Amino acid sequence: MAKTPEEMLVEARKLIGAETKPVQGRYPVEYDPIRRYCHMTDDINPLFLDPEYAKKTKHREVVCPPLMVANFAGPGIWPPATDLPALPPVITPGDRNINLTTEYEFLKPVKVGDRLSVKSRIADIYIKAIRLDPKAFWTETERIITNQNGDVVAKTRNTGLRHRTPEQVKAAGDA
Amino acid sequence: MERKQVYWDDVKVGQEIPGYTLKIDWTRQVKQVSGSQDFYAVHHDPDFARAAGHPQPFVNTGFMQGCFSRLMTDWVGDEGFVRKFRMEMRKMNFVPNDKTGTPGDTMSMKGRVTEKYIKDGEHYVEADVWAENEREGVTTPSKCTLILPVRG
Repeated sequence: MAKTPEEMLVEARKLIGAETKPVQGRYPVEYDPIRRYCHMTDDINPLFLDPEYAKKTKHREVVCPPLMVANFAGPGIWPPATDLPALPPVITPGDRNINLTTEYEFLKPVKVGDRLSVKSRIADIYIKAIRLDPKAFWTETERIITNQNGDVVAKTRNTGLRHRTPEQVKAAGDA
Repeated sequence: MERKQVYWDDVKVGQEIPGYTLKIDWTRQVKQVSGSQDFYAVHHDPDFARAAGHPQPFVNTGFMQGCFSRLMTDWVGDEGFVRKFRMEMRKMNFVPNDKTGTPGDTMSMKGRVTEKYIKDGEHYVEADVWAENEREGVTTPSKCTLILPVRG
């Protein structure tokens, strides 16, 4: 018999506190991913796009947009890396994801050529109802991102949830 | 290329941070996938999104972060620094729905200064920043702490 969401939560909460070692990003901070990142929002800031312009600023090099920093640390965002250390998977009743709250603290600018690493930790797991699923699983994770000198450049905390489809909720008798 | 630089001295509590508007259409959604490298199907596959209970694919966290990044860094200029940022994805910004003919949302990015102060020798500004659309109003309330240069 399949486990109930409450039984799955008991197992999932054993993962609170699990953390990774610092994992270096696959590649250094690079020009072209920054260009594509800016292109999606029509951001034409030359500090992010023009090496000659950036050379004349106090930064001396193209800067990574602040909210893109995590993309260059650890496994990256897609496709999921299977060959780098990662947090253990949280087993949940549903498989549909929604991201909710993101918090960043930035301590140093990140520039092209930097090598970033990330250490991740599961901070909390709990059940909280949403419109689509009365027993959605919420997970809070924390990340500390460092550069090649060991300096902390950013700290993040993210809250996301995983929910069931309406059909799955109905089939489980939770509608 | 000369870029405008805002200085802490000139900032007034209550002043608006210059914003901008983006139309969420399918071309924008393709750029979103390219720029954010988020290939999760709920953001580009209508059938997948509807099976999960959503009316239509919607823009992702990486895209929203990129929009806020542009809003904040355009304003703080080359000398400023984004120190903290907190974003809440409360409501969604949808792409056009070809089945119902509903157009994609037009998303506006806006901000307003709420506080300015000096701490440990740095000159700080706190601001509310947000995304809104015509259908839902504010979709993504957020807050930021920015460091600005001073004149002289």
